[in-house]
Amino acid sequence: MSSIMTAPANTPVWVDSARCKACDICVDACPAGVLSMKADPHSTLGANIEIVMPDACIGCNECELSCPDFAIYVAEKKEFKFAKLTDSSKARQEAIANNGYRLPIDYKEAN
Amino acid sequence: MAFNYDNYLRMEKMPTLWCWGCGDGIVLKSFVRAVDSLGYAKDDICVVSGIGCSGRFSSYVDFNTVHTTHGRTVAFATGVKLANPTKKVVIVTGDGDAFAIGGNHTIHGARRNIDLTMIVIQNFIYGLTNSQTSPTTPQGMWTVTQKIGNIDPTFDACRLVEASGATFVAREAVTAPKKLEKVMKAALEHKGFAYIDALTNCHINLGRKNKMVAAMDTLDWIDSITVSKKKWDALPAEEQKNKLPTGILHHDDTKREYCDAYQMVIDAHQGKRGKITQDDFDKKI
Repeated sequence: MSSIMTAPANTPVWVDSARCKACDICVDACPAGVLSMKADPHSTLGANIEIVMPDACIGCNECELSCPDFAIYVAEKKEFKFAKLTDSSKARQEAIANNGYRLPIDYKEAN
Repeated sequence: MAFNYDNYLRMEKMPTLWCWGCGDGIVLKSFVRAVDSLGYAKDDICVVSGIGCSGRFSSYVDFNTVHTTHGRTVAFATGVKLANPTKKVVIVTGDGDAFAIGGNHTIHGARRNIDLTMIVIQNFIYGLTNSQTSPTTPQGMWTVTQKIGNIDPTFDACRLVEASGATFVAREAVTAPKKLEKVMKAALEHKGFAYIDALTNCHINLGRKNKMVAAMDTLDWIDSITVSKKKWDALPAEEQKNKLPTGILHHDDTKREYCDAYQMVIDAHQGKRGKITQDDFDKKI
Protein backbone atom coordinates (compact mmCIF):
# COMPACT_ATOMS: atom_id res chain seq x y z
CA MET A 1 0.00 0.00 0.00
CA SER A 2 1.35 3.37 -0.91
CA SER A 3 1.90 5.90 1.82
CA ILE A 4 -0.62 8.41 0.44
CA MET A 5 -3.52 6.23 1.68
CA THR A 6 -2.41 6.44 5.29
CA ALA A 7 -3.70 9.56 6.98
CA PRO A 8 -1.06 11.85 8.44
CA ALA A 9 -1.77 12.15 12.18
CA ASN A 10 -4.79 14.26 13.03
CA THR A 11 -5.43 15.47 9.48
CA PRO A 12 -8.94 15.64 7.93
CA VAL A 13 -7.89 16.05 4.30
CA TRP A 14 -4.56 15.64 2.53
CA VAL A 15 -3.28 15.75 -1.07
CA ASP A 16 -0.65 14.25 -3.32
CA SER A 17 0.31 17.41 -5.17
CA ALA A 18 2.33 15.46 -7.75
CA ARG A 19 -0.94 13.97 -9.03
CA CYS A 20 -2.88 17.25 -9.10
CA LYS A 21 -3.58 18.69 -12.59
CA ALA A 22 -5.19 21.89 -11.23
CA CYS A 23 -8.66 21.43 -12.76
CA ASP A 24 -10.50 23.33 -9.93
CA ILE A 25 -13.20 20.63 -9.54
CA CYS A 26 -12.41 19.82 -5.89
CA VAL A 27 -12.30 23.50 -4.94
CA ASP A 28 -15.73 23.99 -6.50
CA ALA A 29 -17.10 20.86 -4.82
CA CYS A 30 -16.02 21.85 -1.29
CA PRO A 31 -18.89 23.48 0.64
CA ALA A 32 -16.69 24.78 3.48
CA GLY A 33 -13.84 26.75 1.86
CA VAL A 34 -11.16 24.25 2.87
CA LEU A 35 -9.38 24.08 -0.49
CA SER A 36 -7.91 26.67 -2.79
CA MET A 37 -5.60 26.81 -5.80
CA LYS A 38 -2.16 28.37 -5.43
CA ALA A 39 0.29 29.58 -8.06
CA ASP A 40 2.85 26.91 -9.02
CA PRO A 41 5.18 27.70 -11.95
CA HIS A 42 6.16 24.01 -12.29
CA SER A 43 2.59 22.83 -12.96
CA THR A 44 1.15 22.65 -16.52
CA LEU A 45 -1.65 25.07 -15.74
CA GLY A 46 0.48 27.22 -13.43
CA ALA A 47 -1.44 26.19 -10.31
CA ASN A 48 -1.67 23.42 -7.73
CA ILE A 49 -3.99 22.47 -4.89
CA GLU A 50 -3.54 23.86 -1.40
CA ILE A 51 -5.41 23.12 1.83
CA VAL A 52 -5.99 26.55 3.29
CA MET A 53 -8.33 25.81 6.20
CA PRO A 54 -8.21 22.15 7.30
CA ASP A 55 -10.03 22.93 10.55
CA ALA A 56 -13.20 23.81 8.60
CA CYS A 57 -13.45 20.40 6.86
CA ILE A 58 -16.84 18.76 7.43
CA GLY A 59 -15.81 15.35 6.03
CA CYS A 60 -18.42 15.25 3.25
CA ASN A 61 -15.93 13.51 0.91
CA GLU A 62 -17.13 15.48 -2.15
CA CYS A 63 -13.60 16.62 -3.07
CA GLU A 64 -12.21 13.09 -2.97
CA LEU A 65 -15.07 11.61 -5.00
CA SER A 66 -14.92 14.30 -7.68
CA CYS A 67 -11.12 14.36 -8.11
CA PRO A 68 -10.41 12.63 -11.46
CA ASP A 69 -6.72 12.09 -10.69
CA PHE A 70 -6.71 10.32 -7.30
CA ALA A 71 -4.88 13.27 -5.75
CA ILE A 72 -7.03 14.12 -2.73
CA TYR A 73 -8.05 12.04 0.28
CA VAL A 74 -10.38 12.58 3.22
CA ALA A 75 -10.12 10.81 6.57
CA GLU A 76 -12.88 8.42 7.56
CA LYS A 77 -15.62 9.77 9.81
CA LYS A 78 -14.73 7.39 12.65
CA GLU A 79 -11.08 8.44 12.59
CA PHE A 80 -11.44 12.18 12.78
CA LYS A 81 -13.84 14.59 14.45
CA PHE A 82 -14.88 16.92 11.64
CA ALA A 83 -16.16 20.49 12.05
CA LYS A 84 -19.74 21.64 11.46
CA LEU A 85 -20.56 23.78 8.41
CA THR A 86 -20.55 27.40 9.60
CA ASP A 87 -21.54 30.72 7.97
CA SER A 88 -17.92 31.87 7.91
CA SER A 89 -16.96 28.64 6.08
CA LYS A 90 -19.67 29.28 3.51
CA ALA A 91 -18.57 32.92 3.08
CA ARG A 92 -14.96 31.83 2.55
CA GLN A 93 -16.04 29.24 -0.02
CA GLU A 94 -17.99 31.90 -1.93
CA ALA A 95 -15.00 34.26 -1.88
CA ILE A 96 -12.73 31.49 -3.24
CA ALA A 97 -15.20 30.51 -5.98
CA ASN A 98 -15.65 34.14 -7.05
CA ASN A 99 -11.90 34.72 -7.19
CA GLY A 100 -11.06 32.10 -9.83
CA TYR A 101 -10.82 29.30 -7.22
CA ARG A 102 -8.03 31.04 -5.29
CA LEU A 103 -8.35 32.42 -1.78
CA PRO A 104 -8.09 36.24 -2.05
CA ILE A 105 -4.74 37.36 -0.60
CA ASP A 106 -6.33 39.96 1.68
CA TYR A 107 -9.24 37.75 2.73
CA LYS A 108 -10.51 38.37 6.26
CA GLU A 109 -12.66 35.84 8.11
CA ALA A 110 -16.32 36.89 8.34
CA ASN A 111 -16.60 36.72 12.13
CA MET B 1 -6.76 5.65 6.34
CA ALA B 2 -8.69 6.53 3.28
CA PHE B 3 -10.14 4.37 0.52
CA ASN B 4 -7.28 2.52 -1.18
CA TYR B 5 -7.76 3.01 -4.93
CA ASP B 6 -4.22 1.82 -5.70
CA ASN B 7 -5.27 -1.81 -5.07
CA TYR B 8 -7.46 -1.67 -8.18
CA LEU B 9 -5.23 0.44 -10.43
CA ARG B 10 -2.14 -0.27 -12.49
CA MET B 11 0.02 2.28 -10.75
CA GLU B 12 2.81 2.04 -13.34
CA LYS B 13 0.36 3.60 -15.86
CA MET B 14 -0.39 6.59 -13.64
CA PRO B 15 -0.89 9.50 -13.97
CA THR B 16 -3.72 9.07 -16.45
CA LEU B 17 -3.35 10.38 -19.98
CA TRP B 18 -6.65 12.26 -19.64
CA CYS B 19 -6.68 16.06 -19.64
CA TRP B 20 -7.00 18.08 -16.43
CA GLY B 21 -10.54 17.88 -15.07
CA CYS B 22 -11.63 15.09 -17.43
CA GLY B 23 -14.70 13.32 -16.07
CA ASP B 24 -13.36 9.94 -17.23
CA GLY B 25 -11.27 9.88 -14.04
CA ILE B 26 -14.40 10.39 -11.93
CA VAL B 27 -16.13 7.51 -13.74
CA LEU B 28 -13.04 5.36 -13.11
CA LYS B 29 -13.09 6.23 -9.42
CA SER B 30 -16.82 5.55 -9.06
CA PHE B 31 -16.41 2.20 -10.81
CA VAL B 32 -13.54 1.15 -8.52
CA ARG B 33 -15.57 2.12 -5.44
CA ALA B 34 -18.65 0.25 -6.73
CA VAL B 35 -16.62 -2.91 -7.37
CA ASP B 36 -15.00 -2.65 -3.93
CA SER B 37 -18.30 -2.23 -2.10
CA LEU B 38 -19.75 -5.30 -3.85
CA GLY B 39 -16.70 -7.32 -2.81
CA TYR B 40 -15.89 -8.87 -6.20
CA ALA B 41 -12.49 -10.51 -6.58
CA LYS B 42 -10.31 -8.75 -9.13
CA ASP B 43 -10.11 -11.90 -11.22
CA ASP B 44 -13.91 -12.16 -11.50
CA ILE B 45 -14.20 -9.01 -13.59
CA CYS B 46 -13.30 -8.39 -17.21
CA VAL B 47 -13.28 -4.81 -18.50
CA VAL B 48 -13.63 -4.40 -22.27
CA SER B 49 -13.01 -1.01 -23.85
CA GLY B 50 -12.90 0.32 -27.39
CA ILE B 51 -11.18 3.25 -29.03
CA GLY B 52 -11.36 6.81 -27.78
CA CYS B 53 -10.37 8.55 -24.59
CA SER B 54 -12.66 6.07 -22.83
CA GLY B 55 -10.60 3.24 -24.34
CA ARG B 56 -7.77 4.10 -21.95
CA PHE B 57 -10.02 2.97 -19.08
CA SER B 58 -9.06 -0.70 -19.47
CA SER B 59 -5.34 0.16 -19.27
CA TYR B 60 -5.70 1.73 -15.84
CA VAL B 61 -7.76 -0.90 -13.97
CA ASP B 62 -6.10 -4.00 -12.58
CA PHE B 63 -8.79 -6.52 -13.60
CA ASN B 64 -8.81 -8.80 -16.63
CA THR B 65 -8.92 -6.28 -19.47
CA VAL B 66 -9.32 -6.19 -23.24
CA HIS B 67 -8.64 -3.05 -25.29
CA THR B 68 -10.48 -3.80 -28.52
CA THR B 69 -11.02 -2.30 -31.97
CA HIS B 70 -13.20 0.72 -32.66
CA GLY B 71 -16.88 0.11 -31.91
CA ARG B 72 -16.56 -3.63 -31.36
CA THR B 73 -16.69 -3.67 -27.57
CA VAL B 74 -20.08 -5.39 -27.37
CA ALA B 75 -19.01 -8.05 -29.87
CA PHE B 76 -15.82 -8.85 -27.93
CA ALA B 77 -17.63 -8.72 -24.59
CA THR B 78 -20.35 -11.10 -25.85
CA GLY B 79 -17.65 -13.64 -26.69
CA VAL B 80 -15.93 -13.21 -23.33
CA LYS B 81 -19.24 -13.60 -21.49
CA LEU B 82 -20.42 -16.71 -23.38
CA ALA B 83 -17.08 -18.40 -22.70
CA ASN B 84 -17.07 -17.35 -19.02
CA PRO B 85 -20.72 -17.10 -17.94
CA THR B 86 -19.83 -16.94 -14.23
CA LYS B 87 -17.63 -13.83 -14.59
CA LYS B 88 -18.73 -10.18 -14.64
CA VAL B 89 -18.03 -8.53 -17.99
CA VAL B 90 -18.06 -4.73 -18.07
CA ILE B 91 -17.93 -2.65 -21.24
CA VAL B 92 -16.55 0.87 -21.03
CA THR B 93 -16.97 2.85 -24.20
CA GLY B 94 -17.63 6.34 -25.52
CA ASP B 95 -20.61 7.86 -27.31
CA GLY B 96 -19.02 7.70 -30.77
CA ASP B 97 -17.67 4.21 -30.18
CA ALA B 98 -21.00 2.85 -28.92
CA PHE B 99 -23.50 4.63 -31.19
CA ALA B 100 -21.76 5.54 -34.45
CA ILE B 101 -19.04 3.01 -35.25
CA GLY B 102 -20.48 0.31 -32.98
CA GLY B 103 -24.17 1.25 -33.19
CA ASN B 104 -25.31 -2.10 -34.52
CA HIS B 105 -23.37 -4.10 -31.94
CA THR B 106 -24.93 -2.05 -29.15
CA ILE B 107 -28.52 -2.53 -30.26
CA HIS B 108 -28.06 -6.25 -30.84
CA GLY B 109 -26.31 -6.73 -27.48
CA ALA B 110 -29.29 -5.02 -25.86
CA ARG B 111 -31.74 -7.11 -27.94
CA ARG B 112 -30.19 -10.36 -26.71
CA ASN B 113 -30.30 -9.15 -23.09
CA ILE B 114 -26.92 -10.71 -22.44
CA ASP B 115 -25.53 -10.20 -18.93
CA LEU B 116 -23.14 -7.31 -19.65
CA THR B 117 -22.72 -3.99 -17.87
CA MET B 118 -22.23 -1.26 -20.45
CA ILE B 119 -20.92 2.08 -19.23
CA VAL B 120 -20.98 4.72 -21.95
CA ILE B 121 -18.79 7.68 -21.06
CA GLN B 122 -20.77 10.28 -22.89
CA ASN B 123 -18.98 13.58 -23.55
CA PHE B 124 -21.08 14.75 -26.54
CA ILE B 125 -18.11 14.83 -28.97
CA TYR B 126 -15.26 12.80 -30.48
CA GLY B 127 -12.66 14.00 -28.00
CA LEU B 128 -9.59 11.90 -28.82
CA THR B 129 -9.57 12.88 -32.50
CA ASN B 130 -10.27 16.58 -31.78
CA SER B 131 -13.90 17.66 -31.93
CA GLN B 132 -15.74 15.86 -34.74
CA THR B 133 -19.54 15.68 -34.48
CA SER B 134 -20.67 12.57 -32.58
CA PRO B 135 -24.18 11.04 -32.51
CA THR B 136 -24.89 12.91 -29.28
CA THR B 137 -23.45 16.36 -30.04
CA PRO B 138 -26.21 18.90 -29.29
CA GLN B 139 -27.57 20.78 -32.31
CA GLY B 140 -26.15 24.25 -32.85
CA MET B 141 -22.80 23.53 -31.21
CA TRP B 142 -19.49 24.13 -32.97
CA THR B 143 -17.58 21.04 -34.04
CA VAL B 144 -14.55 20.77 -36.30
CA THR B 145 -16.63 19.01 -38.96
CA GLN B 146 -19.51 21.50 -38.71
CA LYS B 147 -17.82 24.75 -37.98
CA ILE B 148 -20.86 26.93 -38.53
CA GLY B 149 -22.92 24.80 -36.13
CA ASN B 150 -24.05 21.17 -35.91
CA ILE B 151 -27.41 20.51 -37.63
CA ASP B 152 -27.64 16.77 -36.89
CA PRO B 153 -30.35 15.68 -34.44
CA THR B 154 -29.08 13.72 -31.42
CA PHE B 155 -29.64 10.17 -30.24
CA ASP B 156 -31.43 9.69 -26.94
CA ALA B 157 -29.13 6.77 -26.14
CA CYS B 158 -31.09 5.57 -23.10
CA ARG B 159 -34.34 5.30 -25.04
CA LEU B 160 -32.51 3.59 -27.92
CA VAL B 161 -31.14 0.74 -25.78
CA GLU B 162 -34.39 0.44 -23.83
CA ALA B 163 -36.36 0.04 -27.08
CA SER B 164 -33.75 -2.49 -28.26
CA GLY B 165 -34.41 -4.68 -25.22
CA ALA B 166 -31.97 -3.68 -22.45
CA THR B 167 -33.39 -4.57 -19.04
CA PHE B 168 -31.53 -1.98 -16.93
CA VAL B 169 -31.09 1.58 -18.15
CA ALA B 170 -29.72 4.44 -16.05
CA ARG B 171 -28.22 7.87 -16.59
CA GLU B 172 -26.02 9.84 -14.22
CA ALA B 173 -23.56 12.70 -14.57
CA VAL B 174 -20.06 12.98 -13.10
CA THR B 175 -21.28 16.03 -11.20
CA ALA B 176 -22.96 13.55 -8.82
CA PRO B 177 -20.28 10.92 -8.13
CA LYS B 178 -22.17 9.35 -5.20
CA LYS B 179 -25.22 8.71 -7.41
CA LEU B 180 -22.98 7.41 -10.20
CA GLU B 181 -21.47 4.88 -7.80
CA LYS B 182 -24.96 3.83 -6.67
CA VAL B 183 -26.26 3.15 -10.20
CA MET B 184 -23.03 1.30 -11.05
CA LYS B 185 -23.61 -0.99 -8.08
CA ALA B 186 -27.21 -1.62 -9.17
CA ALA B 187 -26.07 -2.27 -12.77
CA LEU B 188 -23.32 -4.70 -11.71
CA GLU B 189 -25.81 -6.63 -9.59
CA HIS B 190 -28.40 -6.77 -12.38
CA LYS B 191 -28.59 -9.99 -14.42
CA GLY B 192 -29.14 -8.94 -18.02
CA PHE B 193 -28.02 -6.10 -20.27
CA ALA B 194 -27.36 -3.11 -18.00
CA TYR B 195 -26.72 0.25 -19.63
CA ILE B 196 -25.37 3.36 -17.90
CA ASP B 197 -25.14 6.71 -19.63
CA ALA B 198 -22.38 8.54 -17.71
CA LEU B 199 -22.46 12.19 -18.79
CA THR B 200 -19.00 13.75 -18.65
CA ASN B 201 -17.28 16.96 -19.66
CA CYS B 202 -14.93 17.50 -22.56
CA HIS B 203 -14.06 21.12 -21.97
CA ILE B 204 -10.98 20.73 -24.17
CA ASN B 205 -12.68 19.64 -27.38
CA LEU B 206 -16.35 20.49 -26.86
CA GLY B 207 -15.98 23.41 -24.49
CA ARG B 208 -13.16 25.40 -26.02
CA LYS B 209 -15.25 26.69 -28.96
CA ASN B 210 -18.62 26.56 -27.22
CA LYS B 211 -17.93 29.08 -24.45
CA MET B 212 -17.20 26.41 -21.77
CA VAL B 213 -13.44 26.53 -21.74
CA ALA B 214 -12.80 25.42 -18.13
CA ALA B 215 -13.73 22.04 -16.65
CA MET B 216 -16.17 23.69 -14.24
CA ASP B 217 -17.92 25.60 -17.08
CA THR B 218 -18.74 22.35 -18.90
CA LEU B 219 -19.75 20.61 -15.65
CA ASP B 220 -22.07 23.53 -14.85
CA TRP B 221 -23.63 23.14 -18.31
CA ILE B 222 -24.15 19.39 -17.64
CA ASP B 223 -25.78 20.32 -14.33
CA SER B 224 -28.12 22.70 -16.16
CA ILE B 225 -29.33 20.06 -18.66
CA THR B 226 -29.89 17.19 -16.19
CA VAL B 227 -32.74 16.73 -13.76
CA SER B 228 -33.76 13.74 -11.66
CA LYS B 229 -36.27 11.32 -13.22
CA LYS B 230 -38.91 12.21 -10.64
CA LYS B 231 -38.69 15.93 -11.38
CA TRP B 232 -38.43 15.30 -15.13
CA ASP B 233 -41.71 13.36 -15.08
CA ALA B 234 -43.44 16.36 -13.51
CA LEU B 235 -42.15 18.82 -16.13
CA PRO B 236 -44.42 20.00 -18.99
CA ALA B 237 -43.59 18.37 -22.36
CA GLU B 238 -42.17 21.63 -23.69
CA GLU B 239 -39.44 21.67 -20.99
CA GLN B 240 -38.87 17.90 -21.01
CA LYS B 241 -37.25 17.95 -24.46
CA ASN B 242 -34.39 20.17 -23.28
CA LYS B 243 -33.59 18.22 -20.10
CA LEU B 244 -32.13 14.76 -19.62
CA PRO B 245 -33.66 12.67 -16.81
CA THR B 246 -31.12 11.03 -14.45
CA GLY B 247 -31.37 7.99 -12.19
CA ILE B 248 -32.62 4.49 -13.01
CA LEU B 249 -34.88 4.96 -16.04
CA HIS B 250 -35.87 1.36 -16.74
CA HIS B 251 -35.52 -1.86 -14.74
CA ASP B 252 -37.06 -5.17 -15.75
CA ASP B 253 -36.12 -8.50 -14.14
CA THR B 254 -38.63 -10.66 -16.01
CA LYS B 255 -36.84 -11.18 -19.35
CA ARG B 256 -34.71 -14.25 -20.00
CA GLU B 257 -30.97 -13.63 -19.96
CA TYR B 258 -28.98 -14.73 -23.04
CA CYS B 259 -26.46 -17.01 -21.28
CA ASP B 260 -29.41 -18.94 -19.78
CA ALA B 261 -30.95 -19.27 -23.23
CA TYR B 262 -27.59 -20.34 -24.66
CA GLN B 263 -27.44 -23.13 -22.08
CA MET B 264 -30.36 -24.74 -23.97
CA VAL B 265 -28.18 -24.85 -27.11
CA ILE B 266 -25.32 -26.44 -25.15
CA ASP B 267 -27.69 -28.99 -23.60
CA ALA B 268 -29.22 -29.84 -26.99
CA HIS B 269 -25.78 -30.47 -28.49
CA GLN B 270 -24.79 -32.64 -25.52
CA GLY B 271 -27.95 -34.71 -25.95
CA LYS B 272 -29.41 -33.65 -22.60
CA ARG B 273 -32.54 -32.32 -24.31
CA GLY B 274 -34.25 -32.29 -27.71
CA LYS B 275 -34.20 -29.47 -30.24
CA ILE B 276 -35.30 -25.98 -29.23
CA THR B 277 -38.86 -25.20 -30.27
CA GLN B 278 -41.24 -22.25 -29.92
CA ASP B 279 -42.62 -23.87 -26.76
CA ASP B 280 -39.39 -22.87 -24.99
CA PHE B 281 -40.29 -19.18 -25.28
CA ASP B 282 -43.08 -17.05 -23.87
CA LYS B 283 -42.88 -14.54 -26.69
CA LYS B 284 -43.61 -16.34 -29.99
CA ILE B 285 -43.24 -13.50 -32.54
